[in-house]
Amino acid sequence: MKAVFTFALMTLRMLFRRRTLWGILLVILLALAGIASVPSFDVSNQGRFVLDFGLFGIELGALLLALGLAASLYPRDRETRTLMPLIAVPLSRGQYLMGRFLGAAIVQAAALIVTCLGLMLILILHGLHIPADLLPATLLILVEGWFLLSTVFFFSFFTSPPLNWPLTTMLFIVSQMSVAEFAGLVPSAPGLMRSLRILLPHADVFHIKDPIAHGFQIEPVYFLIAVFYGVCYSAFMLSLALAVFRSRDLK
Amino acid sequence: MVFDGSIMADIHPLQVIELGKRFPGKRGLGTVPAVSGVTFRVQQGEIVGFIGHNGAGKTTSIKCILGLLKPSAGSIALWNKKPQDRSVRKRIGYIPENPDYDDTFSPLEYLTMFASMRNLAGNRKSWMSLLERVGLRGWETTCIRQYSKGMKQRMSLALALQSAPDLLVMDEPTGGLDPIARKEFRDIIIEENNRGASVFLSSHILSEVETICHRAVILAGGKLVSEGSMECLLGGKSMYRVVTVSSEERTELTVPEAELQSTIDSLRQKGLPVLKVELALKSLEDVFLSATGGERK
Repeated sequence: MKAVFTFALMTLRMLFRRRTLWGILLVILLALAGIASVPSFDVSNQGRFVLDFGLFGIELGALLLALGLAASLYPRDRETRTLMPLIAVPLSRGQYLMGRFLGAAIVQAAALIVTCLGLMLILILHGLHIPADLLPATLLILVEGWFLLSTVFFFSFFTSPPLNWPLTTMLFIVSQMSVAEFAGLVPSAPGLMRSLRILLPHADVFHIKDPIAHGFQIEPVYFLIAVFYGVCYSAFMLSLALAVFRSRDLK
Repeated sequence: MVFDGSIMADIHPLQVIELGKRFPGKRGLGTVPAVSGVTFRVQQGEIVGFIGHNGAGKTTSIKCILGLLKPSAGSIALWNKKPQDRSVRKRIGYIPENPDYDDTFSPLEYLTMFASMRNLAGNRKSWMSLLERVGLRGWETTCIRQYSKGMKQRMSLALALQSAPDLLVMDEPTGGLDPIARKEFRDIIIEENNRGASVFLSSHILSEVETICHRAVILAGGKLVSEGSMECLLGGKSMYRVVTVSSEERTELTVPEAELQSTIDSLRQKGLPVLKVELALKSLEDVFLSATGGERK
């Protein structure tokens, strides 16, 4: 495990030293500021409006961060041949994957927490109430971020970054759809589509922005189940990624 | 074979048996052999040169040895274990061809992180002294972004030497280096060998292989075409040079050992004086060109 943590730390330092991360973070904060500056049509609903769009911004940020951080990590390591000395001697392929994933997940978490703090600041500046469930909502988006990150890693072992972006975004969109909505895409094969949708990830379980924007309380059991589901699905995607990585020849 | 207890016999740092590697052909049609039927071994304390023209299969073989490529046929054993085994990987130092590293780090940071990943004892002082040994004194904390190719190769050497490896696998470590740097690399390889490390050195610089290697393995077209000790390869067929004078002109005859006496007798019968008889030493280049037919296969 020491090797994994050291490599995660190395990944963390590398990502902080590259400008990509700061660029993405800046875009998210600007988006939040933009949402906050748009006047609501209904003053009484302004808090709900800012909260709803703010959480949507954080969720979109999780997707952008996952893609921006991880889509080019492995292809770049391979292209620049920095992968060879790592895999040949100190690290196994599993340690490489876990180290890169952990490093990117920590950076993603830090960035999402900063964005959440930005949203809180905006709410305070508007003299609005900060709901108690804002933190659990952000944590669930963080779990969704890990799932997206593991998906990006999975695709990165057999596609190029330009292809990884649409594939992950497509899966992200599908993961938000209900079974009925997905089955409706191909009306001629509803059974097949329903089965496929059940197997595909259900990122909608991470979305509690609407209930908290409307002032509903989130049950702790629901929160724990959603976290458990996200962790399990992330582990499954990482296992698939490792299986693909292990089958690859490193020319 | 592995024997019970700590006493082991016939254990070589590296043993390659009938290694074969095929890559997908153009447009994914069929497969193309890169290496086939290659068998050799590196014994404890040996420096073995691995030579062949571009595309002969040297780097492919090395990548199979290190577990970066999966062999299509044959087997590879490092101290009688699979290349993927963690216990043997710890005993290897590797210098890749054209090494590159994340350029946001300095070599000192790299050494510190690699040491932690490999669970090695060591501190900043020891890594500074290692960097000094490979000629990077004064550049320890400079970002790799500012490094030349030669400096990256020096850093690669430092990373390979960091764990005091029992086997050094080097893929053209001195390619692109100036003569002084090449000499420094050679000296370090010899120092490591004197320490007890075995070395597997792939190189295009035949004079270098001839100077420092105990044995050489020659590849051509993905196949092993010659292998043996340097003495055997260079003077294997014991050719002799007989110097005589005919018609007031100095003449040299190169003959195999079996024909030496009859040649001398023949010259004497003709009344020609035999001025000198000496062993005709070949260069590794002669051996290489003769083994490969002097052409790319």
